Amino acid sequence: MTIACPLPAIDTERIQLGHGSGGKMSAALLRDRFLPHFSNDILAQLGDAAIVDVEGHTLAISTDTFVVQPLEFPGGNIGSLAVHGTVNDLAMMGAQPMWLSAGFVLEEGLPLDVLDRIVRAMADAARAAGVQVITGDTKVVERGKADGIFINTTGIGRRRADFAPAPGRAQPGDAVILSGPLGRHGIAIMSAREGLAFESEVTSDSAALTPLVERLRARVGDAVHTLRDPTRGGLASALNEIAAAARIGIVLDEMSLPIPPAVGAACEMLGFDPLYVANEGVLVAFVPEPLADSAVDALRGHPLGRTAARIGRAVSDHPGMVVLATAIGGTRVVDMLPGDQLPRIC
Amino acid sequence: MCLAIPGRIVELRNVQGLPMGLVDFGGVRREVCLAYVADQVQVGDYALVHVGFAISKVDEDEARRTWEVLREMSQLDELEQMKEDAS
Amino acid sequence: MKYLTEYRDPQVARALVAEIKKTATQRWVLMEVCGGQTHTIVKQGLDELLGDVVEMVHGPGCPVCVTPLEQIDKALALAARPDVIFTSFGDMLRVPGSDCDLLQVRARGGAVRIVYSPLDALELARRNPDKHVVFFAVGFETTAPANAMAVWRAHELGVKNFSVLVSHVTVPPAMVALLDAPDNRVQAFLAAGHVCTVMGWTEYEPIALKYRVPIIITGFEPLDILEGMLLAVRQLEAGRHEVENQYARAVRREGNQPAQDLVARVFELVDRNWRGIGGIPRSGLGVREEFAAFDAERRFSVGEIRTAEPTVCRAGDVLRGVLKPTECPAFGKLCTPDHPLGAPMVSSEGACAAYHNYGRFRSAV
Repeated sequence: MTIACPLPAIDTERIQLGHGSGGKMSAALLRDRFLPHFSNDILAQLGDAAIVDVEGHTLAISTDTFVVQPLEFPGGNIGSLAVHGTVNDLAMMGAQPMWLSAGFVLEEGLPLDVLDRIVRAMADAARAAGVQVITGDTKVVERGKADGIFINTTGIGRRRADFAPAPGRAQPGDAVILSGPLGRHGIAIMSAREGLAFESEVTSDSAALTPLVERLRARVGDAVHTLRDPTRGGLASALNEIAAAARIGIVLDEMSLPIPPAVGAACEMLGFDPLYVANEGVLVAFVPEPLADSAVDALRGHPLGRTAARIGRAVSDHPGMVVLATAIGGTRVVDMLPGDQLPRIC
Repeated sequence: MCLAIPGRIVELRNVQGLPMGLVDFGGVRREVCLAYVADQVQVGDYALVHVGFAISKVDEDEARRTWEVLREMSQLDELEQMKEDAS
Repeated sequence: MKYLTEYRDPQVARALVAEIKKTATQRWVLMEVCGGQTHTIVKQGLDELLGDVVEMVHGPGCPVCVTPLEQIDKALALAARPDVIFTSFGDMLRVPGSDCDLLQVRARGGAVRIVYSPLDALELARRNPDKHVVFFAVGFETTAPANAMAVWRAHELGVKNFSVLVSHVTVPPAMVALLDAPDNRVQAFLAAGHVCTVMGWTEYEPIALKYRVPIIITGFEPLDILEGMLLAVRQLEAGRHEVENQYARAVRREGNQPAQDLVARVFELVDRNWRGIGGIPRSGLGVREEFAAFDAERRFSVGEIRTAEPTVCRAGDVLRGVLKPTECPAFGKLCTPDHPLGAPMVSSEGACAAYHNYGRFRSAV
């Protein structure tokens, strides 16, 4: 009996949307198309921000480009997101964000009042986060080439010598702590998208995480091994990246995952798994077990961290793999998705 | 196949002759076609919705009956567990 | 969420697991028909929890997996046309045809849009009179009423720029084909709860009788599946073979009559190829002649596309439940969700994808 499966051709010649989803395709794109050309030690760290030394000062530098659709959504807009996103990338490396640059690609025909709302939101977010936008650039492209507006922000922050969280520092025996509820940003975006229109009270959690990081640092100092904000690709992707970088296993406790009912309901409707939905205002922290209670307590002292909780632990088993202990008593592996989650009927 | 979830009908509508309704799924709301359950449901009832269509009214009595059976089974099992743990 | 999340109660689940283990005096082979049920079983590890008393064989209830290559190729041809907006449920976007998939067609410039409901596709047609909107009408009997309504409304409202590419399949003929196969080991079925919500269960009564298999109409949450398994095991232990309804909160014997009526009005039974299994007579739905204007195959010249399907395929063995994904030599190696070789690895509801995504290839767990 010959085995002959219908072998589909895989189009490897073009970029697909999945390449931008934060999952396996994104990782492969980085690994195969960019890293071979840009190789250097600093880039090789592949943290949320690059760490450089300039004559005795340690700086963190991070860049991010924002292309979200729709431009305005419950809880924010592309402008506030652009500030929070880069501020958070710096904060996740333990740096104090200081300055941002802002580059704009504007589509011909973008209404000026929309631009005003976006820029005002950026200014408000920057002020609240304690950063200044110190330089920028604007380009205009023809109608149809930019989806309204694309924004790039690059951030510079100052890093202390005594506080250096990094992906590779997570170790077996660490508790995994989550600062807040899952899935709000991704669902808020979905609810505003055409074709899937549903009403919901879910708003994006987009926020600067620096105050939370500062609380952790003040309480447990450099015992904070790793910080990550689980943005695109959700908690599952972020934890898989850390597990791979640190060569550890991670076990999550399903019952302790904080999923707001409205997020859960929207996920049911769309067939989404909340573990893969983007967040823009929560962080994951790896802290040694004996300090976990203290760390959770420190987070809970701030409005953004009111519902902070332990959600799992780092282990030496199954390095590189994230496993979920289900409420019913089973276990399953939480892998990275190849690309985006798509709303499904099945 | 067939992701269908239960939702509560909060409003009845008529869109160009087609019976529609606003359905609440645990806080998320969407417009749903009620053509296939039109004479069975009223506001406050629960319906099972698949791809924007209500395909069945949730029989709340049956649900309660099933649930009672399951709960009783669970309580008996718990008692047995406690007996086993004690011995 | 009411009438949903209660059916995930861990304590009740543990009690059901214990009850199943107490009831079974031997190991039984059960098949759950529906991909959504497979998903729950593998995601919750229910088959592992009950492995010593029940062997769960995963059925072909994944319309995405079984959509024939031919229909995918027709979809790709339509989506590539500049005058067409091709709409689909999200599930279908990654299914490979002979050459590429819908996502890649989109990358090359085709207008491909995800919709949640077929009525959204119709609405899109009404708002874009200069384009033709095609909707990929895929699914089992559960989805047929929605697709029928889209065609019916288009007809009633006189919409001229809307059509459907149909690839509907029906469950009972597939079950019979499985039961007729000489290597069939399945002793009882968990029937697809939402299919039966629409169709009722009268079609299953002669099957249970003729093949002497218990058929339990089962829901999709962990407690539903476990209760369905318990009812099946009880019947098997007692030597009974009846149709029994676990999913009583949603399913009635006669099903949804208005839905069945409109489906019969718009569609007719046709022979259908099931990807990986082959041709099953009168196992699919096609658009009736009266509504030919809304049949994309007849409106565009894609009806002539014929794709040869290999007659022997491992995916077929998996879909018939004869082979476990983990027993396939390609599973997890040559064949992964990133590089699928066959249909059950492509769809998130396919048995192979479910096994892979929930980590069954990693022996560490």
